[in-house]
Amino acid sequence: MTTAPGQPARPVLACGEVRTCLLPSFQALDGRAAAQLLRLRADEHVRVSERPNLYALSPEVLTGVDCRLPTSNGAKVRAVGTVATRVALTEGRLLQSTAYFSAPAAGPDTRRPWGHYLVRPGVVEPFGKLPEQATAEGVLRGAGRGELDLGTIAESLLTRLLRHPLLDRKVPFKSRRTHLRWTARRIPAGERAELTRFTLAEDGLRTVELRLPEDTPVSAAAGLCEDLALHDWLLTTVVHMLDSSRLAAADGRAAVQALRPAVDHLLHLWMPHAQVDRSLVHLWEVLEREPGFTRQWQNLVQRIRDQLAVQAIPLLHQALSTS
Amino acid sequence: MTEAVFRETTAELRTQSVPLAHLSLELGHLYMEDFEAGPERLREHFAEVRLWVDAARASAARRTGGKRPRISTCFLIDDYFTRFSTPAELVPLVLKEAEEAGLVIDYLARESGCAVADRIELAESVRHRLVESPPPGSYGSRPSVSQTGWLANGQRTPSTKRAALGEVRGWQPPQETAARNHSVFMDVELWSEKDGRRLWSCPFLAAVWQLARLGLLRHLGEPVLVPRPWTGEDFPTDWDRLPPLLQLNPRAAAFSAYRTCTLMPNRFLAVEDAVRLILDQTEVDSGALRQVAERSAREGLAVPAAVAQRATYVFYEEPVNATAPEGP
Repeated sequence: MTTAPGQPARPVLACGEVRTCLLPSFQALDGRAAAQLLRLRADEHVRVSERPNLYALSPEVLTGVDCRLPTSNGAKVRAVGTVATRVALTEGRLLQSTAYFSAPAAGPDTRRPWGHYLVRPGVVEPFGKLPEQATAEGVLRGAGRGELDLGTIAESLLTRLLRHPLLDRKVPFKSRRTHLRWTARRIPAGERAELTRFTLAEDGLRTVELRLPEDTPVSAAAGLCEDLALHDWLLTTVVHMLDSSRLAAADGRAAVQALRPAVDHLLHLWMPHAQVDRSLVHLWEVLEREPGFTRQWQNLVQRIRDQLAVQAIPLLHQALSTS
Repeated sequence: MTEAVFRETTAELRTQSVPLAHLSLELGHLYMEDFEAGPERLREHFAEVRLWVDAARASAARRTGGKRPRISTCFLIDDYFTRFSTPAELVPLVLKEAEEAGLVIDYLARESGCAVADRIELAESVRHRLVESPPPGSYGSRPSVSQTGWLANGQRTPSTKRAALGEVRGWQPPQETAARNHSVFMDVELWSEKDGRRLWSCPFLAAVWQLARLGLLRHLGEPVLVPRPWTGEDFPTDWDRLPPLLQLNPRAAAFSAYRTCTLMPNRFLAVEDAVRLILDQTEVDSGALRQVAERSAREGLAVPAAVAQRATYVFYEEPVNATAPEGP
């Protein structure tokens, strides 16, 4: 297969994994500190936006791979190339690292000089033909031993960042990391992007399947999936908080303590598709219809406010009776 | 699609372009031992180089289809590994000897400018851009950037230290990743540390130098190692006061170019092979890469996709009177 200089062969599949966690810092970071944290390279800018929310995005860094692709049917396909990784920080509070790659339908049967792969950042070329469906399913299922492991790559960048001296490693409350794996099958340019499946699995795993027009950059899909992962993390975390507060409901003070972090750190973070590429914003509508992400969030927020109001009544009584 | 109404400049990436010649031709690399060997050594060097300059020009002209190629020449003086003489004493001597051989030096650079230029740490930035070539079996668990200060073209000989209760295994050979039947394994030292100070190796600085000549270096999207014009004043007596890159010839073609050609004595062969190894594992600024690819293609002179392929060399025999010390 011949390709124009510097131009990757047309990718038919893109896959990624996002890891989302609370930044281990007592205070949320401001824009400057966020840019400092995300400066993975001395010579490249960290993109920082302040509208509609504070959002910082690191430059991409590459990891070289030469291994088998995960496949659902056991097909053994060796692939060589680079996986791109980037980190995003939203409102100085939620940290996300994404590892992703694109793959063309077919590649050469021998490994080329490494310089060939480095001018195609984020592209992994299969030896021979790419089993598209099996690879997409394999990535969603997770890598087996010795197979291309996006989770490990995303996690190692996250680990590196969490050691940064800017972070005091004091979390304002306990929460769990979530992983979201995604695949995007390429469809002809001009067609409308689709979100065909969003699955909530166990142990904090979520999977997303997309259909992405050829002219939409893969980084836009990565951005959409980061946005979905962030909002899913918020729902997961706040639901968990309300569960714990219910156990503590008998003790008013404990209930307030359990819910307070949501008010201090999370309620203002809900802002669907704030940083999503315009051509993909409509994919949110699917999730708003069913299961209704924002509907659930509003319900949770209402419950938290009601709980806090209820807990405040005895305090008010107390105050009135002692005055 | 309509233009966005709202923009945030801090949220956008931009890469400023640089002017580009067809060929950047390096006429030499001066080290202390060359200087100590006296002006005859320089004379010999330029007399030999002159022949290859003509060949390099002819080759460039063939590529441009007879159209006059834009070629700029440069000369590098080492002020990083050893400090010797002064610009005031040395530069006029170099220029005179070059002129007598019928050569024009368009740009003069200091080697330490490849480490730090105008307070920008170029070598450190390039270090962050190293992406090691993965040996077969790498699925993402290896550290992304070499922390050891060494870069190889394959897998090293495994350490033969005896594991607890383990057997002592025999020697295992190293393996070149891109080997054809047999390996040519190479392991390059990128830097060393002494007294808390990092000393970049000669091949690493030479790789930075190649990237600068290929127009592929940027700092936060801005060009670096930008040539400063020389206005004919005396050269300073301190190397630090000489700009890292000086444009001596006001009519010169652009410093950076689609391709580079470097003329040097054959004792540098190993160093330059190491430079290619480094270039082959460096991810350059994608904006700069695209600009060079697009402009060279528009001129019908498309560059090789892989960066290391854009650099060519002529290694010539050392003049007879030359001492042949180890590489710098």
